[in-house]
Amino acid sequence: MKRVLFLFKQRPLALVGIVVILFWFFAALFGPSLLSFTYSALDTDYQMTRPGEGGHLLGTDALGRDILTRILHGSRSILTVALLTSLFSTLAGVIIGFSAGYFGGRVDAVFLRIMDILMAIPPLVLAMVILGILGDSTIVSLTIMVSIAYIPATARVARGAMLTCKNYEYVDAARIMGESNFSIMFVEILPNTIGSIIVEATARFAYSIMMVASLGFLGVGLQPPTPDWGMMVIENKSIMMNAPWAVLYPALAIASLVIAISLFSDFVSKVLIHDS
Amino acid sequence: MSFLRKVLQRLGFMIITLVAMSLLIFFLVEIMPGDVAQMVLGQSVTPEALKALRESMGLNDPFYLRYLRWFTGLLRGDLGESLYMRGVQISMILWRKVFHSVILALAALLFYVPLSIFFGVLAGVRSGKLSDSVISFFGLATMALPEFVSGVLLITLFSVVLKALPITSVIPIGESIWGNLDILILPAFSVTIVMFGYVSRMQRSSMIQVMSSDYIRAAELKGLPRAYVIFRHALKNALLPTITIIGMNMGWLFGGLIVVETLFGYPGLGSLTMTAIKTRDVPLIEACVLFITFIFVVSTFITDLLYGLLNPRIRFSGAEQ
Repeated sequence: MKRVLFLFKQRPLALVGIVVILFWFFAALFGPSLLSFTYSALDTDYQMTRPGEGGHLLGTDALGRDILTRILHGSRSILTVALLTSLFSTLAGVIIGFSAGYFGGRVDAVFLRIMDILMAIPPLVLAMVILGILGDSTIVSLTIMVSIAYIPATARVARGAMLTCKNYEYVDAARIMGESNFSIMFVEILPNTIGSIIVEATARFAYSIMMVASLGFLGVGLQPPTPDWGMMVIENKSIMMNAPWAVLYPALAIASLVIAISLFSDFVSKVLIHDS
Repeated sequence: MSFLRKVLQRLGFMIITLVAMSLLIFFLVEIMPGDVAQMVLGQSVTPEALKALRESMGLNDPFYLRYLRWFTGLLRGDLGESLYMRGVQISMILWRKVFHSVILALAALLFYVPLSIFFGVLAGVRSGKLSDSVISFFGLATMALPEFVSGVLLITLFSVVLKALPITSVIPIGESIWGNLDILILPAFSVTIVMFGYVSRMQRSSMIQVMSSDYIRAAELKGLPRAYVIFRHALKNALLPTITIIGMNMGWLFGGLIVVETLFGYPGLGSLTMTAIKTRDVPLIEACVLFITFIFVVSTFITDLLYGLLNPRIRFSGAEQ
């Protein structure tokens, strides 16, 4: 605990990151209900309004929809999908990577081959093509796809962690005691590798935000009229010369969340892995 | 024997990857909702016309037959016709767009490789000082930033506020890219900002590691000038991991290009891929995705080779890392 406080003092930016993350979580939970507009309401008197006019704090887009309301609503879907994605891909990655590393031999060889093939395709391209072909993405299909695209990366980390741990004496001891493979993997070894796995999960959270935002931007994410940060950027790109706020504020929302999570994840890795 | 064998193994792996990817796409299109013939002819069309078109496009043949036909065509170097743009040979559009994307990728590489190596080395040798903190923070902040976000920030500054650079990267009809090089600047810098994070961080940590090694200490104790030690002794070894990262991220770069090209409307492989997906143009999707995968696999392969050649101690075991 003392060390955590010390590290906080050393890295005040990590604190800023945590505050920003908390801000977005509260915004997602309570934000939309605090506002007088709805995300799809068309205010025909105030199209492409400057921030501040007509009660639109961050202005409106070409159809007269309130940017702030849409950003706050959009935070719900992106946080939900990114959280679930980092959870699922880490979970699946741990199960797959642990099994490959623990059993070794042929299981591991097959695992490495499959991972090599999956890793030969950039994750964004993979998710984009599949979601684009299947069409009409929902929160569920988006979550599944992004998780799958990230499993190779998380599984590699988990496999590496398993390889460093499985030759320790306590594993032999557990085996002699007659513990099952499952219990050795998840009761004995997992707690000892949990640090690097948590670090991987928080880094994955930042990358999930990046991927979900990019997919929305490319038009294969959530479908309109559901507000989506990435989609807002591309929707309003054509009016950017006259109404830059309609593009800039959603982009800043993404930037603030991604940077905050990166700072947080960097801090977590310092606390859990380095000099411990 | 081991070198040649590794090369052959790698080539075999590349082919398997490409075949697996092309099968996956064919399969997905098979199970997806929607019909290509319908897309081409529109909603108000007689069932007879639809049937005739499906017949002439060979859409009624079973899955494996269509795949085989496409695959044998590919072996002859024939990418087939676009389904959506009837009668247009894919090779006619693809290479032009690939060329544009390669130009953009080269422009991005030209920006981000020297920049991130320079600042990475700077942060590494001044580790713990203020300049290191600033560079490291910037690298950390931009690492997971989507390319279109950095693009929007650049557009806001250079196009909306300063009005110095074009907001879109369209090549006017009848002109070539060479007369319009200014359209490359903002897209290339959008990619640069994101790639800078990875590469500079890798360069920094490898620099720190090398600078604390015994042979550098020996060189310093000999009284050699610091700049000489850094550039002649340390950099040589510290560049190795960076080269790997740059090579490994070539596919990532092309993924990022899709996003950047969409943002700026740049006529490259990325926007072509998006068009192909939106129009469910199977042969065109196949061609685009295979090409991106191909670039990724080849650059990984070359990176491994280069790493082995540059570092005799490793000699081709980089893949196991």
